[in-house]
Amino acid sequence: MNQERISSPEGLALLRQQLQSRRTADKPCITVCSGTGCQAYGCQAVTAAFREELEKRDLSDQVDILTTGCHGFCERGPVVVLQPQGIFYERMKLKDVAEVVEETIAKGEVIDRLLYQDPRTGEKIVHERDVPFYKLQQREILSMNGMIDPTSIEDYIAVDGYSALVKALHEMTPDEIVDAIKQSGLRGRGGAGFPTGRKWEGCRRAEGEIKYVICNADEGDPGAYMDRSVMEGNPHSVIEGMIIAAYAIGGHRRHGLEGYIYVRNEYPLAVKNAGLALETARSYGLLGEDIAGSGFNFDIQIRRGGGAFVCGESSALMQSLQGNVGEPQAKYVRSVEKGLWNQPTTLNNVETLANVPLIIRRGWEWYAGIGTEGSKGTKIFSLVGKINNTGLVEVPMGVTLREIIFDIGGGIPDSKEFKAVQTGGPSGGCLPENMLDLPVDFDELAKVGSMMGSGGMIVMDEGTCMVDIARYFLDFLKEESCGKCVPCREGIARSLEILNRICQGKGRPEDIDLLEELSETVQGFSLCALGQTAPNPVLSTLKYFRHEYEAHIFEERCPAGVCKALIEYWIDPELCTGCGACTRVCPQEAITGEKKTPHTVTRSECIKCGACYDVCRFEAITIRSAGVKAAPAVEAVEAP
Amino acid sequence: MMNDWIKITIDGHETMVRQDTTILKAATDLGIEIPTLCHHPVLEPYGACRLCTVEVLQKGRSRLVTSCNYPIRNEIEVQTASEQVLRGRKMIIELLWARCPEARVLETLARSYGITKPRFEPREGELCYLCGLCVRMCNEIVGAKAISLIQRGVEREVGTPFYQFSEACIACGACEFICPTGAIKVTDVTDKEPRPLLLDFDMGLRGRGNIYIPFPQAVPNVPVIDREHCLHFQADACGVCQAVCPPGAIDYEQEDEFVDVEVGAVIVATGFDPFDATHKPEFGYGRYPNVISGLEFERLASASGPTQGKIRINGSEPKEIVFVHCVGSRDKLEGAEYCSRICCMYTAKQAHLAHDKIEGAKITVFYMDVRAFGKGFEEFYDRVRAEGITYRRGNPSEIYKRADKLIVRAEDTLLGRTVEVPADLVVLATGVQPREDSAQVATMLGLEMSEDGFFAEAHPELRPVDTQRQGVYLAGTCQSPKDIPDTVAQAKAAAARAIVELSRVKRELQTTAKQGEGRG
Amino acid sequence: MLETATLEQILERHERDPANIIAILQDIQTEVNWLPEEDLRYVCAELEIPPSKMMALATFYRAFSLKPRGKHIVQACLGTACHVRGAVRILGAIERDLGIEGGQTDEDLQWTLETVGCLGACALGPIVVVDGEYHGQMTSAKATRVLQRIKKAEGNGSGA
Repeated sequence: MNQERISSPEGLALLRQQLQSRRTADKPCITVCSGTGCQAYGCQAVTAAFREELEKRDLSDQVDILTTGCHGFCERGPVVVLQPQGIFYERMKLKDVAEVVEETIAKGEVIDRLLYQDPRTGEKIVHERDVPFYKLQQREILSMNGMIDPTSIEDYIAVDGYSALVKALHEMTPDEIVDAIKQSGLRGRGGAGFPTGRKWEGCRRAEGEIKYVICNADEGDPGAYMDRSVMEGNPHSVIEGMIIAAYAIGGHRRHGLEGYIYVRNEYPLAVKNAGLALETARSYGLLGEDIAGSGFNFDIQIRRGGGAFVCGESSALMQSLQGNVGEPQAKYVRSVEKGLWNQPTTLNNVETLANVPLIIRRGWEWYAGIGTEGSKGTKIFSLVGKINNTGLVEVPMGVTLREIIFDIGGGIPDSKEFKAVQTGGPSGGCLPENMLDLPVDFDELAKVGSMMGSGGMIVMDEGTCMVDIARYFLDFLKEESCGKCVPCREGIARSLEILNRICQGKGRPEDIDLLEELSETVQGFSLCALGQTAPNPVLSTLKYFRHEYEAHIFEERCPAGVCKALIEYWIDPELCTGCGACTRVCPQEAITGEKKTPHTVTRSECIKCGACYDVCRFEAITIRSAGVKAAPAVEAVEAP
Repeated sequence: MMNDWIKITIDGHETMVRQDTTILKAATDLGIEIPTLCHHPVLEPYGACRLCTVEVLQKGRSRLVTSCNYPIRNEIEVQTASEQVLRGRKMIIELLWARCPEARVLETLARSYGITKPRFEPREGELCYLCGLCVRMCNEIVGAKAISLIQRGVEREVGTPFYQFSEACIACGACEFICPTGAIKVTDVTDKEPRPLLLDFDMGLRGRGNIYIPFPQAVPNVPVIDREHCLHFQADACGVCQAVCPPGAIDYEQEDEFVDVEVGAVIVATGFDPFDATHKPEFGYGRYPNVISGLEFERLASASGPTQGKIRINGSEPKEIVFVHCVGSRDKLEGAEYCSRICCMYTAKQAHLAHDKIEGAKITVFYMDVRAFGKGFEEFYDRVRAEGITYRRGNPSEIYKRADKLIVRAEDTLLGRTVEVPADLVVLATGVQPREDSAQVATMLGLEMSEDGFFAEAHPELRPVDTQRQGVYLAGTCQSPKDIPDTVAQAKAAAARAIVELSRVKRELQTTAKQGEGRG
Repeated sequence: MLETATLEQILERHERDPANIIAILQDIQTEVNWLPEEDLRYVCAELEIPPSKMMALATFYRAFSLKPRGKHIVQACLGTACHVRGAVRILGAIERDLGIEGGQTDEDLQWTLETVGCLGACALGPIVVVDGEYHGQMTSAKATRVLQRIKKAEGNGSGA
C-alpha cells in the first residue's frame, strides 16, 4: 500500500474521517477472536469457513470479517461476536458456521445453542456486553482488542489511535507529558509498581549521548499473558506509548533516542504483529524521522528474548539486549541514569505503555479518577487455574478478589471449594479465603505478603496442595535463577530440597523453621528481584496454610491428595462399572478385574501416574490420602 | 552540583570519603573488616557472594546493600555487623560450606561464625563456589577470555568453550593463582604446557617466573621482567603483575637505556666464563643428570639455593660422591694450558661440605696434583683429608653408567693401576675461561690479549694492573684466573692507579684553565 | 554445519553486530534445530566474539541447544495454571510414552521433550505443543493419542 505520510495533526484527523466514513455502523461484521488461545481452539479454520460460506452465498461484499486480537474470554474460545448487534457466540465449531450465516447473519435469528450460559443462574446471554464476565469489567485497554484487526494500522487510527501521539508532539512539551503521567498516578505494570512519571522524569534529567526507551514484553510469569494479548491484539497502542515516552524523556534535546521492544520468543504472534505494526507506522510517518510532521525523530527495533525468565528483570534484560548473558547487575545507580550501554534508559512494561495514550488522550484527571489512593487506573489480570471463566480481566484498581474470582470469574468449577488465589507470579503469594475481600492494588497486596506482579491470578481449589504449590514455584525459580548470587542460587535450591522431602513425607520437625530462616536470607541478600521475592510463595503458604505443612511433616499426609508419595489410587466398588477403560491405560497393568465387575488397584504395582484417574468417566477412581502414620491402610498390601 | 567529599558513618566512626567510593573501600580504610569471597581489588566488583552485605541507614530507612559495589553518593550511616547482617552472612556461609565441604577457606570462615556443621546435605567433591575470580581474571586482566561461567542456576560452572580445551588459553596460570580453593587447574583449561624458565643464578636448577629477582644479592634488589618470555610484551596479553602489585610498581613503559659517560679512567673487571664441561664428553656431563659442575654443586650446597642447602640429586641424597679436578684446566686439548687456580681449593671446600652435610658419605677426589698455595690453604687441605676424604692421584678417563650407579674409571698413578669408583654424584671441578666476548671488549678498549685469551697487563711484574692503553686498568679474572683474595687485592690496586691518573688529568685541566684566564 | 552462504545471510540480516548475537543464534537454530559447534565457531571468528562468551550464551538461554534435537519437538507447559490442572501427570504420560525425560532427546533423534514455564495460553491448560501445534485441555490419554498419531504417520512414511 502506498499511502501518504501523516505530516500534521490535521492530516491524521482527515485520515481518521476517511476511514470512519468507509465503515457503516450497521454493516454486519463477523468478529472472530484470533488470540493465541482461540487459535489453539481452531479459530483460523472457523474464519476460513466463514469466508467460504459468505462467498458461497455471495455475501462477501455485504458482510465484513474481522480477525481481532484476544477478547479475554479464552475459556469459551473460539469466540465470535456478530456486529452490529453484538451477539456473542462461544465455542464455535466448524459445523456451526453455515448455520450462523444462515440463521443469524441472513435472518437475524439467534442460535440458542451457541450462547453463553451463566453457570450460576443458568440464564442464556445473547449480547457480549451482558455477559457477566465482560459486564463487570472496565475494559479501557482490552476493549480495543475486540474492535481492531491488529495487523491493520487503519483500524487502530479509526478508533482514535495515534491521536494521543499527535497531541503530545504538537500540543505538549516533554515536561508537560512527564507531569501528566506523574499526576495520573500511573505505576509500572511489570511488577514493582514504580511510578512511571517519576521514572520518566529521572531519565529526562539524566545526561547522556543517547537515551533508550525499552518496552519489556518478556512476560515470563507463569499464568500471566496479558502482555501477550496486548502485544498481539493491539501493538500500536504500545508503540504509541513508547513514542510518547521517548518524546517525554528526550524531546527537544540534542542527544539521540532509540527504542527496543524486547519480546519473548515464545510469543511468535506478538513478534509478528509488533513487527508489522512498526513497519506500517513508519510508512505512515508515525515512526522514524519527523514523526507526524513534528520534527521529532525516534525509531524502534524488536529484539527477541532467548528464553530466560530472569531477563524480565530490567538490568538482566539490558544485558541481554547488549548481547550478553542475562545476569542482573547491581542497581545502586539507577538505569534511568546508567542503563543500556551505560546510557540513560527508561524501561516500561507493555501494559504500562498501553495506558499512556489513554492518559494523554483523555487527560490525567480522568485516569486519576479510577482506582484507589495509591494505585490508579485499571489493571489487567489473567484469571486462570481452577476457575470457571478463565481469561483476561480488566478492572479498576481496588476491586476485591471476591468480585474478580466469583462475580467475573464465575467461581470454582465442579462445585469445589475455593482454597487460595496466587497473585504476582512466582514472586507472589497465596492468599486464603478470608482475604477475598481485600481490595486489589499494589499496596494492599504487598501488605499481606503477596504482590501485584504482572497480574497473574491463579485460583486454587481444595484439590490443590499448598506445599506442592510452594514446591512448584521454587522448582520454577530454581530453573530460572541465573546462578550468579549465592542466596538465590544456593538458597532456592536448598529450600526446594526441603520442600521436596516434605512432599515425600520425609519432612523433619525443624524444617519449617529452617525454611523460614533460609527465606529471610534469600529475601534480604539476593542481588535482584527474582531472588528477593523468591521466598514469597513459601512464606505466604507458611503463613496461611501452615497446617498443611504440619500434616505432611507430622502425619505424613497430603490433605489435598496431590503429593504422590502420600497418596494412593483406589477404586470405589460402588461406582466402578467394570468398563475396563482404566485397565487399558494403566502402564503397569496394575488394575485388574472381570468385565462389568468392580476393578481393583494392585498397590505394589501402581506408580501413581494418574492415567486411570484421568480416564474414568464414573469418578470411581479416587485419590486417597490416608496418611501413612495417621491411618494405616485398610487394604492388605500384597506381599512382594 | 554534588560535593566531592561526603561525610559518612561506619559502625559509629565518622569519616569523609570521595563521591563514588565503595563502602567496602571506605570501611577497609577505617580498618573495619568486612568478609568477602568474590571481591578482589584489581577486578571489577561483582556482587555475587553477597557476604559483604551491610545495612545502610538513610533518611530513617534501612536497607541491605553489598558494600563491594555500593558507590557512596549521600550521607549515609553504615552498619557492617548488624544483627540482620550477621544472620544473613552466617546463612550464606552455611550454604556455601554445604556446597563445598572441603574448601578450607569456607571451613575457617564458618567456624569463625560459630557454624560447626552445615544443616544441608553436603555436596561431596565440589570445590568451586562460583566466585568468578578466575573468569574475571582471565577476562579483565589477562585478556585471554579462555573460560567463562556457563550454564545457569545450580548448573552453573566455570567452563571452557564446548567443553574442550580452550584455544584462547595462554597457560598463564592466573586462574589457578587466584582461585581460593584450588578448584581450577590450568591443565583443566588447556593442554598447552607452560615451559618452565630456569634461573641462571641457580645454574638452571630452579625455575623462575617471567618476573623475578635475578639473585638474592642483586643490586638493585628488585624484580625484572623477562621481556623475551613475558606475555604482555610478546602477545599484548596478561598484565596480571601490574594489576595485583599493591604499590603499583610495575611499569611496562620502562626501556633499556644506553648511557654515555665521560670518564677519566676505566677499570676493566669483566670476569670469566666457567668452562663448559660438555666439551669433555667422556665425563658424561649433560648426559647424566648426576654429573654436575662445581658451580652447580655450589648452588646445591647453598642455604639460599634451590634445595635450601640440602644436597639432593633427583630428590635423593647421594651417598657416594666423586670430585674430579682440572676439568678444563691444564688441558692443552681444550686450549687451556693454564691452571685455573681456584678449583683445588673449592673442591676441597665442597668435599668438606659434602662430608659435613651427608652422614656416612663416601667421598673420593681425583687430582693431578693439589695446589694449595694461599694463606691457610695447605692447612685446610690437610684437614679435609683428615676427615676421611680419599684423594686419589690420577685423572679419570671415563665416566659411565652401570645399573643405577655412575662408574668413574681412572688410572691411580700412585698405585699404577686402573680403578673404578662407583658414584651417586660426580662433581667436575670446572675451570676458568676467558669470557667469550673478551676479543670484542679488547678491540673496543684497545687492549691486548695474552696467548691464553685473557687481557694482557702492561708488564707482568712492574705494571700488573695497567694496560697498554693509558687510563685503562685491569682487575680480577679478566686478566688471569685468580681467587677472591687476589681479585680483591688487584681491584684495590687498579682503583689506586685510576686515582693517580684522575688527579693527573685534573691538575692538567686546572693548569690549562689558569693559562686561559691569564690570556683573557 | 550450515552452508557458509546461509550463515553469511544470517549475519548480514543482523548487521554483523555482536550485540545481536542472540538473534543470530535464534536464526541458526531455526535453520538447523540446534546450534552446531562449527557454526558457532564461524560466528565467533566473524564477529570477534570469544568462544568462551559464546559458550556462556548458548548454555544460559533455554531456547538454545548445543545438541541435536529431535525431528519432533514436544513442549509440555508446566505453567502454574497448567500445574494446578495436573500438568505433571500429563508430562509423566508423555515421558513414559516417548521413553525420555523432560529436556531430553531420544537416541534416534525423533523426539525432543521440553518443559516450558508458561506458554501464555492458560485457558487451555494443561497444554502440550507438538511441532508448534497447540493441544489444549490435555489428559494423559489424549496426550498419548496425539503422539501415537504422529508415530503412526511416521511409520507409514518410512515404511513406504
